[in-house]
Amino acid sequence: MLIQQDLSLQEKLRILTDAAKYDVACTSSGVARKGKAGMVGNTAESGICHSFAADGRCISLLKILFTNQCIYDCRYCINRSSNDTLRTAFTPDEVCRLTMEFYRRNYIEGLFLSSGILYSADYTMELIYQTVYSLRNEHHFNGYIHIKAIPGAEEELIERIGFLADRMSVNLELPTAQGLKSLAPGKTRDKILKPMRQIQRGIFSQQKLLEELSGERKRLYGGARAGFTGGASLFRPDKASAVLLEGRASEELSPNRSFYAPASLQREQRFVPAGQSTQMIVGATQENDYQMIKVTEALYQSYGLKRVFFSAFVRVNEDSLLPALPGGPPLLREHRLYQADWLLRFYGFQADELLTEDKPDFNVFLDPKCDWALRHLELFPVEVNRAEYQTLLRVPGIGVKSAGRIVAARRNGPLDFSALKKLGVVLKRAVYFITCSGRMEQGTRLDQDFITSCLIGDERRKNWDISHQDSYRQLSLFHDMKLEEEPTREDKVSAVFGNM
Amino acid sequence: MTVYICEDSLDGILCGVYDAWMSRKGHAHVRLQLDGCFEQELFTEYLIAHREVEKADKVITSIRQKISERVYEKVYVASLSQDPDRADKIYRFLIYGFHFGEKVMDMLQIPAVFEVFQMCRNVYNENHLLTGFVRFSRVPDRGLLFSRIAPKNRVLSLLAAHFSDRLPGERWMIYDENRQEAAAHLPGKGWAIFQADPDMRKEINNWQTDGKDYEDLWKIFHRTIGIKERFNPKCQRTHLPLRFRGYMTEFE
Repeated sequence: MLIQQDLSLQEKLRILTDAAKYDVACTSSGVARKGKAGMVGNTAESGICHSFAADGRCISLLKILFTNQCIYDCRYCINRSSNDTLRTAFTPDEVCRLTMEFYRRNYIEGLFLSSGILYSADYTMELIYQTVYSLRNEHHFNGYIHIKAIPGAEEELIERIGFLADRMSVNLELPTAQGLKSLAPGKTRDKILKPMRQIQRGIFSQQKLLEELSGERKRLYGGARAGFTGGASLFRPDKASAVLLEGRASEELSPNRSFYAPASLQREQRFVPAGQSTQMIVGATQENDYQMIKVTEALYQSYGLKRVFFSAFVRVNEDSLLPALPGGPPLLREHRLYQADWLLRFYGFQADELLTEDKPDFNVFLDPKCDWALRHLELFPVEVNRAEYQTLLRVPGIGVKSAGRIVAARRNGPLDFSALKKLGVVLKRAVYFITCSGRMEQGTRLDQDFITSCLIGDERRKNWDISHQDSYRQLSLFHDMKLEEEPTREDKVSAVFGNM
Repeated sequence: MTVYICEDSLDGILCGVYDAWMSRKGHAHVRLQLDGCFEQELFTEYLIAHREVEKADKVITSIRQKISERVYEKVYVASLSQDPDRADKIYRFLIYGFHFGEKVMDMLQIPAVFEVFQMCRNVYNENHLLTGFVRFSRVPDRGLLFSRIAPKNRVLSLLAAHFSDRLPGERWMIYDENRQEAAAHLPGKGWAIFQADPDMRKEINNWQTDGKDYEDLWKIFHRTIGIKERFNPKCQRTHLPLRFRGYMTEFE
């Protein structure tokens, strides 16, 4: 494959941005670092969005590929080796210059560098390492850096990058090994999980080491508020140990053995401080939502990931093995998966509570939390003035922030419905599931059909917007977005012949 | 009813609080108003709360000692709000503050506390958006990074603190068009806010910015990163309201 090096920087940026845009993670959150004299930049715990693209997604980082040349032929990927597109590559210096000049003008929060594979995984990873090294040490960049680890690259290279970057990610791409085999012939599940495990181990043992050195126990990833610890708080060492045990030697925390980096570096530097993330494609293969959400949960529990991202499949290649998707990318499904992901990370739900093997897909009409609540009406109504924080979190319409505010505010006196509204509770949903000082809101009753029909009207209008963006619909005075299926052909036939 | 008219600044408002409180007329019989944004009413006495540093200092000291530092921060942020009634709302909040102490922060069921909470949230939100949406461009004659904003709330001081941590080695200036205020930063010397007089404003308007290079690169990036199949201008508008776009490089 010919790589065009003599293109202008504009042209290269256009090609390599275009090739990178399908990667979803563009967050700059997870690490709070103050600015330093002589350096450029700092990072904010919550992350900062700098702009929004025409598709409504946030632009926080300079998201580019190092090169769009690739030795693999993954069927879903726009950069697959059999595609006849213009191939080019940045030089490390070009990436550094772009990052620094964009950062100074406050266009971006940092760099998100991913890459196709040029010659070999090691060769590409080495180029990325050079870029990040130069950015941190020669350009004195102190902002956010997110690097994609390339499966199959040397452990030492990944580790060196881990000490320079804020976040690293390895894309799982497809939730099952089988799906991966059919669509990405060059990749295997084990090859992808290996760097993920290495980064997870690195994060935990470096954290422990720093704790021992400083003599104080810090919370992993810092962050005083629950919201920022993310999926990492779900990490269960017992689940990880099954795989961890196989490498017992590296379990001991002697710095020389578990890391390649010099001891002096380990003494002060954190390893991937903003945690690890991954992404999965939604709707490219046959996996159902239950499988997706189970894999997500497993990744949080045994790999200590901070985030799992979902990316609605966009058909960029003509290939007989890819689904046709006439209705566009499965955006509503992606939306439901993100809602469920939040429930796992912040609301204390388990994957098995949300879906089961018998009912493997999310309700199209209702969000996963309302859906769960409607199936468990025996737990409701909840008394807002007495219920525990965990119970409040499970009420539809009450979120992490409003549950916290309720717990703080009710110490100073009872709350009524209007007070709840001020605390940020979405009464439109919550009102069916709560009592204030023993009273439910007038006119509501705890009845599944009643609540469903009330909730669905609103929800349906929202869903319609998600799946039919930028189009118009006929308003109806009588049945605006109520739950009703179109009559099928059989219904019409039976109506005509009178056999009901 | 007695109305105390105060200057639009933290000090000014706190002087109003001092005068109204020390008048001993009772909280129900006094009100604070900002200079220049109220209509006169009948049967109301209007008094001017003169700005004196000692009065404001007394109030600040007692807030910090008798309530808490966090409440002081809230009061400061609320004074930056766009709400025309901010002076009176701060006064009502402080009545509860001095009564309940630190725990007043959690009592959102009290309307006076909720109002201040809402004002602060509005200021913090706009400030957070602007930490992302501010766009600097280079003014080569001055060796300066320059940005123009038109925020609803007076967030310049919060923004300046953010950028002086972020870009400590740069000369930069952020100009608030709505209030004709500018925050300027010099490397190693920190930042300051000053009022721009008419000459200064004229000069600022004549500044030539260079660097089409990187501005063009950024526009290319911004255009390319969106996925055509997911085109969704409504979502874009919710996150990035139109009022910010006039000041942003990529929407020029």
